[in-house]
Amino acid sequence: MMSPVAVYVHTPFCPSKCGYCDFNSYAMQGQIVERTVSAICAEIERSPWRGRPAKTIFFGGGTPTFLSEDQLLRIFDAVIRAHPPVEGCEITSEANPGTVDAAKFSAMREAGFNRISLGAQSFLDSDLIALDRIHKAGDIERAVDAARQAGFDNVNIDLMFALPHQSLVAWRKNLDRAFSLETDHLSLYCLTIEPNTSFYKKHLKGQLDLPDDEAQVAMYDECCERALSKGFSQYEISNFAKPGRECRHNLCYWYGEEYAGYGPGAVGSMTDPIGGRYRYTNLKHPERFSDAVEAGDRLDFERESLDGDVLRTERVMLGLRLNEGVSSELLNPGPVKRLIERGWLTERDGRAALTAEGRHFCSEVALELI
Amino acid sequence: MDQSHIRNFCIIAHIDHGKSTLADRLIERCGAIRGTAQEQMLDSMDIERERGITIKMAAVKLLYQAKDGETYELNLIDTPGHVDFTYEVSRALAACEGALLVVDASQGVEAQTIANASMAMNQNLEIVPVINKIDLPHADIERAKEEVEMAVAIDASDAIPASAKAGIGIDEILEAIVQRIPPPKGKPDAPLRALIYDSHFDSYQGAVAYIRIKDGSVKKGDKIKMMSTGATFDIDSTGVFSPSLMVNDGLGTGEVGFLTAAMKSIGDASVGDTVTLASNSATEPLPGYRKALSMVFCGLYPSDGDQYEDLRDAIDKLRLNDASLAFEPETSAALGFGFRCGFLGLLHMEIARERLEREFGLDLILTAPSVDYIVHFKNGSVEHISNPSEFPDANEILTIEEPTVNATIMVPVEYVGAVMTLCQERRGTYLKTEYPTPQRVILYYSLPLGEILLDFFDKLKSNTRGYASFDYELAGYEASDLVKLDILLNGDAVDALSFIVHRSFSYQRGRAMVEQLRKVVPRQQYEVRVQAAIGAKVIAADSIKPFRKNVIAKCYGGDISRKRKLLEKQKEGKKRMKQIGSIELPQEAFLSVLKVAE
Repeated sequence: MMSPVAVYVHTPFCPSKCGYCDFNSYAMQGQIVERTVSAICAEIERSPWRGRPAKTIFFGGGTPTFLSEDQLLRIFDAVIRAHPPVEGCEITSEANPGTVDAAKFSAMREAGFNRISLGAQSFLDSDLIALDRIHKAGDIERAVDAARQAGFDNVNIDLMFALPHQSLVAWRKNLDRAFSLETDHLSLYCLTIEPNTSFYKKHLKGQLDLPDDEAQVAMYDECCERALSKGFSQYEISNFAKPGRECRHNLCYWYGEEYAGYGPGAVGSMTDPIGGRYRYTNLKHPERFSDAVEAGDRLDFERESLDGDVLRTERVMLGLRLNEGVSSELLNPGPVKRLIERGWLTERDGRAALTAEGRHFCSEVALELI
Repeated sequence: MDQSHIRNFCIIAHIDHGKSTLADRLIERCGAIRGTAQEQMLDSMDIERERGITIKMAAVKLLYQAKDGETYELNLIDTPGHVDFTYEVSRALAACEGALLVVDASQGVEAQTIANASMAMNQNLEIVPVINKIDLPHADIERAKEEVEMAVAIDASDAIPASAKAGIGIDEILEAIVQRIPPPKGKPDAPLRALIYDSHFDSYQGAVAYIRIKDGSVKKGDKIKMMSTGATFDIDSTGVFSPSLMVNDGLGTGEVGFLTAAMKSIGDASVGDTVTLASNSATEPLPGYRKALSMVFCGLYPSDGDQYEDLRDAIDKLRLNDASLAFEPETSAALGFGFRCGFLGLLHMEIARERLEREFGLDLILTAPSVDYIVHFKNGSVEHISNPSEFPDANEILTIEEPTVNATIMVPVEYVGAVMTLCQERRGTYLKTEYPTPQRVILYYSLPLGEILLDFFDKLKSNTRGYASFDYELAGYEASDLVKLDILLNGDAVDALSFIVHRSFSYQRGRAMVEQLRKVVPRQQYEVRVQAAIGAKVIAADSIKPFRKNVIAKCYGGDISRKRKLLEKQKEGKKRMKQIGSIELPQEAFLSVLKVAE
């Protein structure tokens, strides 16, 4: 039997574009959406990796739940036909709390999805407005309820901190409401200001009143402590899970395993029998992507071969983010010793991992170790 | 070629007035280059082409059949166009009997036009004015001529209208060279006297001397003697420039060419020296040049201390082709082992740095540029000091003298006020004003050289919407009330950041320096206090807040390559930082002083 592989599907459409977002997403409607859905299905049907079972499946975006039930399930069927899921396969869809209801969740659950990841971001309406989100705080709670009712026993919410004007007090209220939902998983992100976003322009003009470093550290630490006390483990620098609910799909990325990516702008990393490991990125724009699928042209516009040094760098960079750390064999002893002395790193059983303080300086530590 | 059929000339012009293009056209017209022409043939260094400037002189021999039916040998000696390299222009002029003075028909006379033309007149060269770029829409030939007459005081009635780019006027220029520039004088039967006007180093042939034969002749096998040192060499080859070196049977009176003689160092063929024969020597050397004067000094240090020896080798090699580069070892408490280097100007400094990094693969840190001061001690001793960190305690100093320049600034009349304000801000002393035409003004100022280093030229350009042109020459030294400003990071003085400043500017520039450092020094893991101090007295202070965290962002499939590349880029950047104590400083920090006058 062929070896199982993680499968990612990118649906690039959103109801509107959020001010901080630099993902490959488009506020498009109508014909192009339908055309792109067909193109994604066609891409999967002619995939060179067709037949390899799915180890995990992840629908991301964009907003997968922006698609109609029919569109979403057509793609899902194509994936299942090409990559029969292994026993107990984790099958996730991202969802926007403003684009779901009980009916859609039920249909998804029935089809085979078993994990929902909700882009909650904040439980304060004023934050959500500032972030250009289409949903209200109340929608999050309703969406979690709907998911539970539809039979999802594995639900994640994404939370963002270091938002404009955010105070520690407001953050604590956020955490209260987030933990009261008793989800199985929590992802925690610092707002990053990316070029080519409207936030970036505002930031350059000094119009974003962002919390300073001290406040950000306090927000992050507070969330980590609260999560621990609620029975979560921090298995990755930005991710918390109840026992057994770690996101297996994302762990494939962090362990450096293969993943197939489908859809506009999707990234995959596979092994070529001759050239070795490589990473590719599909054409980003839905029109360009669909044109290429329809014409039978190549879909990847970027292809990077990953040699030993690059793979090592990535293993170190990603391994450091994990609670279990990175194998000491990949590291130079000199910098490791210095970082341990500085209190940023610990070493145990042949693995080096960040300390709680070290997590604040993850990039700094990675710089020393690559 | 008999003397009467030789013409030695150069082209002088303000930067961007089309000198290199005209040289190309003359070369093409005479067929010295066959095959595909490469633009700007005389600018051979990559950096020269990229920046569109000429740094190193080159020469070319052209054979031209004139309208009188005779064939003439025209030796064109190219000259650098930037004010930093004025010194090299004077060397080129000494090898010529005439000069084409190229003036842009739309720009008119500029400061360097005047400076170069007056140098040529001082050497009694025949000047042929050429009004270039007449095909441009804003060309005004009559006004350009008028300016030449008024500002340069030469007859421009027979100036040649031309467009080097469009190939207009090229034949007329060649005829004028033959008709108007006199043939070389010199005595063929007298003992050999040849002027070395430039040189370069070739790893196979040793030093290659570029010579102009004034008297006598020279050929392969001759035993020559350098008149300044008495050293003798056997000539391996002689030749001409085509423009690449082309070996020939010998060089006669009036000719321009090169000779090689297994000279092991560039110092054996010292520019300005006179070559004669070992037997039958000349008695009087030709008038030489003054040595190239270093105007700007800075410390050059390897980012990685282990590269010190590599840097020494690289500077040695660079100096083989750049006689105006001066250097000696120095140490800095902050930066370790490095070299104090002297340059003709900031551009020269930048080019040297770029060549060292590019051609020798080094990562360098340059310290704040400084000029050379004369310090009179109370104990009666006098010292030249160009490194601010070597300045003695204020109580040991009696007086300090700083170098000054005579500056020529040419500007449309409406900007006179702006220029005068700028010059006054830079401690300039007004000398005089001239009006070559009703619309244009030449301002003469005496300015401290140290003030010109601080972005003067950029400021001048921006305050006059790019219309001002500028030239200067070293005038001498003047006593001045100067103090040394120390920069302290977390309480420790960083010697490589010290600079000398006029007392009246010390507070303002101290603050500006602190502010600039706050901008360019990245946040560290600890708070960094930045202070400017005169002696023990702190005059400005600020702090760089520490960073307390990295951004904790998500990292999934598509982010991995991007994050890895970002990390690799940061790693590269870190390599270029210099660790001072526990603080990492980028190169920009050391050049912050250049921004303090803003």
